[in-house]
Amino acid sequence: MFGRMIRGTLFRQWKKMLMIAFTIALGASLASAMLSVMLDVGDKVNQELKTYGANIRVVPKASSVLSGLYEMEDDQTGAYLREDELGKIKTIFWTFNIVDYAPFVTVDAKLDQGDSVKVVGSWFDHHMALPTGEELDAGIRSLRSWWDIESGSWLNEQDGSGSKGAMVGIELAEKLGLSVGSSIHVTGSKTDDTYTVRGIFDAGGEENGQIFVQLNTAQALDGLEGKVDSIDVSALTTPDNELAERAAKDPKSLTVAQYELWYCTAYASSICWQIQEAITDCVASPVRQVADSEGEILNKTQLLMILITILSLIGAALGICNLVTASVMERSQEIGLMKAIGAYNGQVSLLVLTEVFITAVFGGAVGFFAGFGFAQIIGHSVFGSAIALRPMVIPIVAVLVFIVTMIGCIPAIRMLLGLRPTEVLHGK
Amino acid sequence: MKKRRMFFRMITASLMRRRSRMIVALLSIAIGATILSGLVSIYYDVPRQLGAEFRNYGANMILTGSDGGFTYAEFNIGKSVIPAADIVGAAPYRYENVRIREKPVVAAGTDPDEAKAASPYWLIDSGEWFRNSGELLMGAKVAESFRLKAGDKIEVSFTPEDQQEKAADNQAPEDNVREFTISGILKTGGTEEEYVYMNMDDLEALTGTADRIDVAELSVSAVSDKLKQYTADINSAVPEVHASLVKRVTASETTVLSKLQALVLLVTVVVLALTMICVATTMTAVVAERRKEIGLRKAIGASDSSIIKEFMGESMLLGLLGGIAGSVLGYVFAQQVSIRVFSSSISFRPLLVPITITVSIAVTGLSSLMPIRSATEVDPALVLKGE
Amino acid sequence: MSLLELKNVYKIYGELHALNDVNLKVEKGEWISIMGPSGSGKSTMMNIIGCMDKPTKGQVLIDGVDISKESSKNLTTIRRDKIGLIFQQFHLVNYLTAVENVMLAQYYHSIPDEKEALEALERVGLADRAKHLPSQLSGGEQQRVCVARALINYPEIILADEPTGNLDEANEETVVDLFHKLHDEGTTLIVVTHDPEVAEVAQRQLVLRNGRISKEVVNDHFTGKIRFTD
Repeated sequence: MFGRMIRGTLFRQWKKMLMIAFTIALGASLASAMLSVMLDVGDKVNQELKTYGANIRVVPKASSVLSGLYEMEDDQTGAYLREDELGKIKTIFWTFNIVDYAPFVTVDAKLDQGDSVKVVGSWFDHHMALPTGEELDAGIRSLRSWWDIESGSWLNEQDGSGSKGAMVGIELAEKLGLSVGSSIHVTGSKTDDTYTVRGIFDAGGEENGQIFVQLNTAQALDGLEGKVDSIDVSALTTPDNELAERAAKDPKSLTVAQYELWYCTAYASSICWQIQEAITDCVASPVRQVADSEGEILNKTQLLMILITILSLIGAALGICNLVTASVMERSQEIGLMKAIGAYNGQVSLLVLTEVFITAVFGGAVGFFAGFGFAQIIGHSVFGSAIALRPMVIPIVAVLVFIVTMIGCIPAIRMLLGLRPTEVLHGK
Repeated sequence: MKKRRMFFRMITASLMRRRSRMIVALLSIAIGATILSGLVSIYYDVPRQLGAEFRNYGANMILTGSDGGFTYAEFNIGKSVIPAADIVGAAPYRYENVRIREKPVVAAGTDPDEAKAASPYWLIDSGEWFRNSGELLMGAKVAESFRLKAGDKIEVSFTPEDQQEKAADNQAPEDNVREFTISGILKTGGTEEEYVYMNMDDLEALTGTADRIDVAELSVSAVSDKLKQYTADINSAVPEVHASLVKRVTASETTVLSKLQALVLLVTVVVLALTMICVATTMTAVVAERRKEIGLRKAIGASDSSIIKEFMGESMLLGLLGGIAGSVLGYVFAQQVSIRVFSSSISFRPLLVPITITVSIAVTGLSSLMPIRSATEVDPALVLKGE
Repeated sequence: MSLLELKNVYKIYGELHALNDVNLKVEKGEWISIMGPSGSGKSTMMNIIGCMDKPTKGQVLIDGVDISKESSKNLTTIRRDKIGLIFQQFHLVNYLTAVENVMLAQYYHSIPDEKEALEALERVGLADRAKHLPSQLSGGEQQRVCVARALINYPEIILADEPTGNLDEANEETVVDLFHKLHDEGTTLIVVTHDPEVAEVAQRQLVLRNGRISKEVVNDHFTGKIRFTD
């Protein structure tokens, strides 16, 4: 009989129930959209902030002590990182957080006129097939996103056309009167080489006076085969907190539990630590200009989204509460009748709660998917990528909808329990 | 006249004596209005606030001498092109090769406060920022190679130009020597770690020459178009100075900031749309609850238009009250968000008050109109029979 | 001319003839009661006389105006001007005080006048309860407020639907006494009721059965004579 009564309400009063379901769906969609966006905004903004370039720089241990201090005549005596170890960066614990990286080797070469010029070897769009089966295109093409290509194009490593090509900074190009397609001859300490200018770039910094070529091309000039002198790494990191700051100074000062927590969180300092473990004789340190600012902006954006989410959750909760109260109160007559024919308060409350609960389940489910849809709209139009479906959103929205609808029922049920059947039936 | 008084008497009676129901309706309208005014204020203030956050990336404009260094006077003229309120920090730097323990080190003279403002990401690893004359901030790499720490005292020597020939002839030059205390160790992860920083006055005293700036770093809070305008203006105002933008910072800022702004805009739109629908359903429910009363009024002779007038009057009064409450609460909310997130206060936008109130009246009014109209179509006889 | 005249009135819902060729004349100042079992067409007739419904066929003349041809808007106007309604379930606006409920009828009719409304309440013996809300009034008091509301605009006809249905005996008596007073003042009363005691005090008793007037009893309270017509 109970089930029959519930069915009766749901099907015969479907208009009213639809209204409740609709409001619950609205509230739930608002909640799930905002929660999804909020939980994903960190990752998304983090990706966006990658346009600022590398946030971690890896240098050989020996050169981290200022070489110039000891008036070393010859740079070649300085230690180098090994090119064959570069792949290891993608094997660390936080491998998925490493979005991009590029090695550099800088050679002081001479131009034909006798001027000295820095020739920098690097990756442009280096293709890597990783042991994990993953594939990655890494290099300065994405790591230096702020460079403007004034003419020509980026070097293309993958079709082989880049091997004798070079990209020239705009200041140097203007000084030497170079344009795309012209040749430039440079002499290193071991060999000399002639490059074809493929692109001219404006980096807005000292790179404007340099020549960028492929890694092996630059290495050959000075006989530095297999050696690199720095690596720029762009990693998705978690903003530093007090633990991360302490760990950055000395990881050994942490307790075992703290160390575990730190090691297993994507702090810039723990990623640096892991890179140091993977690559021999290197020092990896966060580029504070990027890492610190990233943290600040991430924190602020997340906090902002959290506050907006809280506000909209309050709004959604109030909307649901309100409508549930109103629509249950509307039925005072019917419930008075039930009491008149002998229903206990408990039975009446159970009936009302069950009806609202069933409606809430439907409304909540519809709302969740609608909200996820809204989140996708936001994700695609702002970041051009989908917002990930976080499993934790489901229980949060479910619990929220449940609590809010039940709270919405409280005033209504209190009123219903207070009803005297005679009054209701006599139209009071 | 009398009729109007009765009209208001009825509306106020309905609002006052049905207090609990009305407060709930009012609350939802007020929350809707709060979200409206709060989010719109935040939306308008976010670019400014976030723009300030992005200044954490440091200088976005660099001034160099067109031909070597430039003077303080030239620097100040250049600076004056940009409104003072937009300048977050403007740090002049002068670089000189000095020696510590007979090893060459690059020393930079600057204004400590401005340097800090222009490069907020500089981290003092130990010790504190340099302030007074005789204090020196040492790059971490320099400190490491000398095994120096904060608090240590060192002598810094400089060979003036006229003595350099002697040095070249392997004679002992007469160096200028000053003693400094290391106030702190600087960590940036960049080349700054290879320098030592001191007050410009100290460097001038050490070198014996004054009024020369090699580079000035400016952190300017402005959008990229405006920054371009400023550089052009500076370049034409002071030919001795060449202003250029730090592309890495400005280009990236434009990209990221526009995304964040779009994010806040879309979130605002979605939240607003859903909230308005929520308010509308609430009003629908509030009116639907009173079908019986509408039937009664019709039975005792009310015309449809007078019923619509009364109920709309009531809804719009609710909308007005909700809108007023929402404007206040929205401002408070936006202010709280601003203080908590950006630790700065938000400017009050007077225009937002009438907009919030109008929108809230319009939404409540429109959303009540439909159910009221449908309620007036009800047969009073049926309603009164207790259907 | 009769104040109210029903000529060959039919009200048909699908197969059901709720009213089947009803003819009735009510003169000014008359007191009529309508009785009949459930489903006899009482409520339909009441709704039609109260201008809340229109007949399927036939004419309903109030003061010579055929309301069966009027628009619903005009019906509202006629109801407002000519008819005072009293319901079984009182139907007061629960957030308005007694006097405000009476004023509501004035408001829709013409101009609200608190003094006049208070006088109306005094007539029904509720002067001291004027500022109370319906929830603070007893059933009888609420019904008296309804009577005051019904007569505030000096309607031609007071139409009461089971006015004593929800009242105890004492209150029933008060209301019936009020009807006597109204009748003496010359108001036309049409009372739909189940209660023979209430019906008896009317001048004419109509009994409806299957949509037709099956019996008419004329009570001559002065001579004690009773006439029947079928």
